[in-house]
Amino acid sequence: MRDCESIRESIGRWLDGELDTAESESIRAHLASCEECRKAQQQLESIDQILKTTLLAEAQQIEFLPFWRGVQVRIAQKTPWHEQALEGLRATFTLSRAAWLVPAGIAVVLAILSLDSYIPGLREGRNSFASVESIDAYGRNVALLRENESKTTVIWLYEDQEEENATADEPAKSAPAF
Amino acid sequence: MELSDWDLVQKCQSGDMASFQELVSRYHQKVYMVVLGLLHNRDDALEVAQETFFRAYRKIRSFEGGSSFYTWIYRIAVNLAIDQQRRQKRNPLEFRETMDGVLEAQEETARDPFADVHDRELRENLARAINELTPEHKAVIMLRTIEGLSYKEIGEILGCSEGTVMSRLHYARKKLQDKLSAFL
Amino acid sequence: MRLLMNPRNQLRLFSLALILTAGLVGAAEKNPQFVQVTIRTILAENKTDDFDPKLKGMERQLKPLKYRSYRLLKAEDQNVPSQGTRSFEIPGGRSLTVAPQEFQDNRIALKVRLTEREKPVIDTTVKIPNKGNFILGGPPHDGGVLVLSISATAQ
Repeated sequence: MRDCESIRESIGRWLDGELDTAESESIRAHLASCEECRKAQQQLESIDQILKTTLLAEAQQIEFLPFWRGVQVRIAQKTPWHEQALEGLRATFTLSRAAWLVPAGIAVVLAILSLDSYIPGLREGRNSFASVESIDAYGRNVALLRENESKTTVIWLYEDQEEENATADEPAKSAPAF
Repeated sequence: MELSDWDLVQKCQSGDMASFQELVSRYHQKVYMVVLGLLHNRDDALEVAQETFFRAYRKIRSFEGGSSFYTWIYRIAVNLAIDQQRRQKRNPLEFRETMDGVLEAQEETARDPFADVHDRELRENLARAINELTPEHKAVIMLRTIEGLSYKEIGEILGCSEGTVMSRLHYARKKLQDKLSAFL
Repeated sequence: MRLLMNPRNQLRLFSLALILTAGLVGAAEKNPQFVQVTIRTILAENKTDDFDPKLKGMERQLKPLKYRSYRLLKAEDQNVPSQGTRSFEIPGGRSLTVAPQEFQDNRIALKVRLTEREKPVIDTTVKIPNKGNFILGGPPHDGGVLVLSISATAQ
């Protein structure tokens, strides 16, 4: 059987519900038969009760709206202006909107920028022709031609006519007949 | 259906001020109670309670739900109150309303005068006894008595082990019992 | 994992992934490491009336040259590193050297040199659309003329 000293050490934890079943039972059994320990229990309960009721009564006098205004004043006074602006933006573009708006926006921009990679012939006009930036035919005649229907750039090299006649049985035309 | 604290926190993190207001309305009295118990001065308690919610507002985006919202808010409140007490000890202010006054101002139901005097003495001595506790001991008493928080929750708020909470509570209660045994 | 359950973090992660992808795609487009160059060596002549089925898809480009027949002699692909060079053997003791220069606005600048018996015949720089081509023709061969279709695709 536990002595009163040991029981009184545990009364606080028993009142707080922090003891296991076996220990709780042993405390309860002791208190049923020990007036001194019961007095200690009542003292602790009284202290708790007074504190609780007193502070609760005080807290219930604190009205919400004036309290909230006090918090808002602190927020307005102590938050730098740029953070307040950011808060305004955040309130407008809430997470639920931004969660899809931002990636959707990025996806749209990417799609526009890379559209011509996926749709051939999207860029019409002169960009679809190859453009000749420079040419050096080492003294030979050369013709630059553009075939509009197929959008083809042709660089045609004219060979020396005499040389051509010497090598061919039935010489092909040395130049295309555009 | 009422939103949970965590739902409200997430909405706050997106910039929804109305959700933050709802959280304040849920906890402002509880926070005030704990802080008043620690500071035993109404003006200081109101200031610290409001400062608690201001700090929570500034830090709300970093709250990731590792603990419950109320554990988090009490942690801020208790730390602010303990800092305030330490500042007051270093720079004593002129006497203002103390817990004596707080306890005295409580509305009382009609009772016989003898009991009335007895209660007033008890309250005065209770206030004095609490004031003699260290801030850490006051904190465990307030969180347990007022909020009924478990030792584990109190430990999370104060950043100490359950064992430390238990021994501090035991010490604080013993001190109060010793000082008030004549009145209880 | 708890971090990923936060919608804010999900948004950040998703946007970051998109931006990284864009960066990679953008980087790939702007600075291709290689250009795949394809040279189709075609013999155009008037001896017969044949159009090589292997040249299917090139009718519109070749027909305007007004030869009666077109025959694919060889087709060769090479991955040419950007700012590098590669040579292609062309019938008749010829060689075609290709050097990709730059990639801008989805167009590839190619420096091309045709040599014959190691002597330069023509040097040209042509900007072609990515995956596009141009024609270099005229050198005589085997009773006809060679028509080189030079195409490039950024890798």
